Amino acid sequence: MHPDPARTPAWSPARNAIGLWAVEGVLGALVLAAVVVGLEVMLPLPTWLAVLLPVLVLVEAVVTIGFRPRLRYRVHRWEVTAEAVFTRTGWLSRTWTLVPISRIQTVDVTRGVVQQLFGLASVAVLTASSQGTVRIPHLDADIAARVADDLARRAELVRDEAT
Amino acid sequence: MTPEWHLPPEVVARRTSWRIVLAHTITFRQARQWVPALLAFGAFRGFTDGPWAVVVIVAVVTAVSLGSAVLAWSRFRYAPGPTAVVVTRGLLSRSVRTVPLDRVRGVEVEAPPLHRLLGLVRVRIDAAAGAVQSDEEELVVDGLPRAEADRLRTHLLARRGAEVPAPDSAGDPAEEEFARFDDRWLLYAPLVGSYLAVPLAAVGALFRLADELPRRWRPDLGRPDLTDTAVLAGALGAMAVLLVVGSIVGSALVNWRFRLVRRGGSLIAVRGLLNRRHTELEIDRIRGGTVTEGLGMRWVRAARATALVTGLGDAARRGQLLPLGPRTEAWAVTGRLVEDPGPLRPHPPAARRRRLVRAILPGAVVAVAGVVLTATLGLWWVLLVGLVLAALGVPVGLGRYASLGHATGPRTFSVRSGWLVREQAVLQRRAVVGWQVQQSFSQRRQGVATVVAAVGAGAGGYQALDIAAGDAVPFAVAASGRWAEALSGPG
Repeated sequence: MHPDPARTPAWSPARNAIGLWAVEGVLGALVLAAVVVGLEVMLPLPTWLAVLLPVLVLVEAVVTIGFRPRLRYRVHRWEVTAEAVFTRTGWLSRTWTLVPISRIQTVDVTRGVVQQLFGLASVAVLTASSQGTVRIPHLDADIAARVADDLARRAELVRDEAT
Repeated sequence: MTPEWHLPPEVVARRTSWRIVLAHTITFRQARQWVPALLAFGAFRGFTDGPWAVVVIVAVVTAVSLGSAVLAWSRFRYAPGPTAVVVTRGLLSRSVRTVPLDRVRGVEVEAPPLHRLLGLVRVRIDAAAGAVQSDEEELVVDGLPRAEADRLRTHLLARRGAEVPAPDSAGDPAEEEFARFDDRWLLYAPLVGSYLAVPLAAVGALFRLADELPRRWRPDLGRPDLTDTAVLAGALGAMAVLLVVGSIVGSALVNWRFRLVRRGGSLIAVRGLLNRRHTELEIDRIRGGTVTEGLGMRWVRAARATALVTGLGDAARRGQLLPLGPRTEAWAVTGRLVEDPGPLRPHPPAARRRRLVRAILPGAVVAVAGVVLTATLGLWWVLLVGLVLAALGVPVGLGRYASLGHATGPRTFSVRSGWLVREQAVLQRRAVVGWQVQQSFSQRRQGVATVVAAVGAGAGGYQALDIAAGDAVPFAVAASGRWAEALSGPG
């Protein structure tokens, strides 16, 4: 393996994010299970399929509840430096995004319904380009609010001469 | 959890007028999203219970609409602070959007009929131009009394007042010609895909028309004998001539007497034969340019030049610097607006390998399927098609690699890619609003990465495909500024 093209940002999302992702996994697995139960009741499936489908659902549930949340927690990183907002995401395919504070146009904080249960919020930093959006998922709500406030203040202080 | 949880203490979060609830209830503004659910419910229950069912449904719908309108109103706040405006909203999920005041580009106050009846207006705040996708609602404060809206507007635009430069009132500045269309350049048109499409579309329309005509109006052409080579060659020749003439005429209609001049701080383009078009753009807003060459255009060294302008709708057409002409002309006009960053650097050998694999792979897959089919069913032609496709992939892959290149200069940088349509973008360093470094699993194994410069103009992003992974951050720093060093070390 060659060295990475860019460094890893310093900070992780909130620890609670693992719980939130696991809950999302549970919800998804429940939906799948309901579909499979429906299929098994309504259709005369061949025996091998009738056995295979629940096994697949089980495997999917183990992956999305037990494994993926921890992986995601490791993979999502973020950092606010003196001049820029910096994130990295992705496991096999990875994406680093860097936006200078001087080019920030808008800062969004959103709290979805499940996020509110876990006390989390996501921050999105928007620029004049649709490809220059930085998304920081699942921070502690207080931290998210502080980050957004701080970024908006600093963006106002640095005059944007270009866009 | 109060909606003001994020606000500094000195800023007062305000509500819109309660009367907006009436307007939203009547127009089902928030309730619209529930309509599919209601329809599904109705379809499930059936609408067979007679007129009472209709009354119940109307009552339920209105109640839902009123309820969601009240909820949306009660959870909406806007706070015009000293440095930023903060809008809080959301029925179940919460959203807080903060816009620094000097990023506000414009404020629009509109009064739809129903609003006027209630004595209210709607304020649209234009901030993140280009970034807000259609699903993300733009910043709207709906339902303010006129006076309050005017106060908000003044507050939002107070910062801008000082910086807006005085209009150039120094008489009529001299014109400077940047480009002028030479009629001979029309001969390039048959080699440009978009102009070739014009006669094809016209012929298609003609055939459809012929189909629609009553039988007795249709000319009786008999049934030409297509096995006769002379007839076939004649037909093909006639079609080729039609295509060539059609594309030239099409190009002439659009580009006739194209002329690009600079007058003061503006670039003015005039063109068109029947419909004379006049477009104007501010030179201050130009962030770069692209020079585009299609496959056919490269044979005759023709190109098209387009300016990348911030905040310009329909930029592809309105930003045109030279619609069609020799490559040297296209570069000349681009060079007058954006400094040339110097010769392009080629991308590493891994990039060539990747382009070749990408181009050959589909043919190779067909060939493998062909081997199986030849062995099992004796279908040899699938194998042949696969081999031909794979062989054709070699020049395509090499061509794609040859197009790749990037360069950085003192004030500008450049990236080039594309084979069917090769596009080289030259951008000013100040154009960059962000960087994205992308690395797929196979790119990681081969030590390359794709670097995308986010730009608030043109396509929104311009990429250097498959550059050496170690060059990614140095390229970003050289193409924008020291702030990009945060990618490689603590900033």
